[in-house]
Amino acid sequence: MPTETVVVAGHIVDSLILAKVLDLVVDAGADYVMAEVVIGRTNLDPSHARIELTHDDADALDALCERLAVHGASRVGDIDAELVVADRDGVLPAGFHATTNLATDVRVGGRWRSVENPEMDCGLVISDDAVRTVPMHGVRAGDRVVVGHGGVRTHAPSSARGVRNFEFMTSEVSSEKPKALLVVQVAERVRAARAAGRRVLAVCGPAVVHTGGAPDVARLVRAGWIDVLFAGNGFATHDMESNVHGTSLGVSVTSGGGVEGGHSNHLRLINEVRRHGSIAAAVEAGFITGGTMYECVRAGVPFVLGGSIRDDGPLPDVLTDVVAAADAMRALVAGVGVALMLASTLHAIATGNVLPAGVETFCVDINQAVVTKLADRGSHQALGVVTDVGPFVGGLADELCGIGS
Amino acid sequence: MTELAWGRRYLMCPPRHFGVLYEINPWMHREVVVDPDIAMAQWEGLAATLRSAGAAVEVIEPQQHVPDMVFTANAGLVSGRRFVPSHFRHPERQAETEVFAAWFAAAGHEVRRLPAASTHEGAGDALPFSPTDGPPVLLSGYRPRSDAAAATELGALLGCPVRAVELVDERLYHVDLTFCPLDDRRAICAPLGWDAYGRKVVEALVPEPLWLTDDEALAFTANSVVVGTTVVMPVVPVRVGRQLEAWGFTPVAVDVGEFLKAGGGCRCLTLALDVTLSSTSPAG
Repeated sequence: MPTETVVVAGHIVDSLILAKVLDLVVDAGADYVMAEVVIGRTNLDPSHARIELTHDDADALDALCERLAVHGASRVGDIDAELVVADRDGVLPAGFHATTNLATDVRVGGRWRSVENPEMDCGLVISDDAVRTVPMHGVRAGDRVVVGHGGVRTHAPSSARGVRNFEFMTSEVSSEKPKALLVVQVAERVRAARAAGRRVLAVCGPAVVHTGGAPDVARLVRAGWIDVLFAGNGFATHDMESNVHGTSLGVSVTSGGGVEGGHSNHLRLINEVRRHGSIAAAVEAGFITGGTMYECVRAGVPFVLGGSIRDDGPLPDVLTDVVAAADAMRALVAGVGVALMLASTLHAIATGNVLPAGVETFCVDINQAVVTKLADRGSHQALGVVTDVGPFVGGLADELCGIGS
Repeated sequence: MTELAWGRRYLMCPPRHFGVLYEINPWMHREVVVDPDIAMAQWEGLAATLRSAGAAVEVIEPQQHVPDMVFTANAGLVSGRRFVPSHFRHPERQAETEVFAAWFAAAGHEVRRLPAASTHEGAGDALPFSPTDGPPVLLSGYRPRSDAAAATELGALLGCPVRAVELVDERLYHVDLTFCPLDDRRAICAPLGWDAYGRKVVEALVPEPLWLTDDEALAFTANSVVVGTTVVMPVVPVRVGRQLEAWGFTPVAVDVGEFLKAGGGCRCLTLALDVTLSSTSPAG
């Protein structure tokens, strides 16, 4: 659907300019969303409105924008972005442009330049050779930062929710879908991303191990289908616990029954890995002999384990500085085309925060609320598959790696 | 009723190079000949009338090849010691900008510029109305000669609210052909010139408007100059004159017929120099 954003500012309320502009939009058969309205505090203060327009006919939308320009509503982007130099490290200038995760262009010196790494909730820093999103803590004194909305434009994903050929999923989240067909479709998207030279990211929660899915994720890593892994202390711990002790949080992964002394297995596992100094060292020493973490080390698949306040241990590889963990994740998301969020709430949302909207994101969880949470935090591209993650990854591994491989 | 706080000091430009040399509004026809002697006599008559009403008149030297410089209302906007020169829509008038900017700079004004891409034709397209209980509001016309966006920029440069109204009749191409503030409650208003939104804006701003009929508006009745309680007008329709007198004003008709040939009346020939728009200091 053709979209344009216009900005109108000044004493637009008392002048009835805003009312006139909106009337013209409606008269033209277009829809509008008031993306931002700042009404002057007193009648001396100017007001400001940013209006997103959509129309099913691009020419009609263009003609509407021309008409609106007469009344002072200018298309966003008809001007260069305003730049202000940051005056201290870690602090953006007041009025900084807060980013979305959509593909974004910035106009500098009359020329549109694409933002290299779209990410929500960041600032935009212009250098001679690049326009980049920078999280607040990453800005440095002297950086030239975009302020306001002028000279910035975003592009909605070209197909609905960034997913092509996925018409089967017409509703966003539902448990009432034939799961086998969903598995086939997700596998198809993974193959398509790979064919397009994009990478595949898996974000795993501990329930993947609890439900018996860890060997299947390991299969996917071994077969080369997963290029990046994000998880926390829990997933990595239980993955290795199941390899070393045959349990996941003390429950046998084969019989499903409790095991004598099993409640401390994960602590002993963490303790031993800490003794080795790292997961890689534990693998090299032969302490870990299988599982997802083992396959990642063997295949050289990079992983980020982000810490949380309730972690046991934690494992020596866990980044307990959350800012450093987020930066480590940012460093690995370039080139990702498909993200598989597997039974993880916190890490899925954290990952959603650093992914561009164009990344096809599949959120597999038994709890419908997780997908909703992810979308509510801005990752609108996330498609939900409400199901038990264990059988799902089993099916996905069968699809991609072949049954019984 | 409180008299206008401004209107006692004007800038005028004698019509030594005046003539209808091009056509940039529906009133201008190049085949119409301006009589330079009559024009000069009318101009001096207007200046004398303003002086006798109690106003001071300052004079800027006319320049060759810019015949419309005589219409000093379009020079720009004054607020205190700040001057924002006009950016003219038509190339025929664009040379006036630097002439007026230089005059104001020499007179000790701080000259502030609109962005290069913005068009606004000064006090011809923006007149202040100072309501009894509020700060001065600039009523600015847009579309034929000035950009709507320029109203926003003027508000920032002059430190006052600007209400932009769309001018919809090409014969009333500047807001000063549609609007003449009389005091803190009243103004001469020509609704013919505005769209429905603009009419509502004026109704909300002016408690007691003197509405002009279309014929009165097209006779340039609103293009008048107010000096205290004297209203100097290119024409005084009987009905309008009676209403002004009932309100305590003295309407005075001044023949500016030679200038009407170029689409300008009394207001167009003057620029008030004693206007202060901001109640606070404008944004730097």
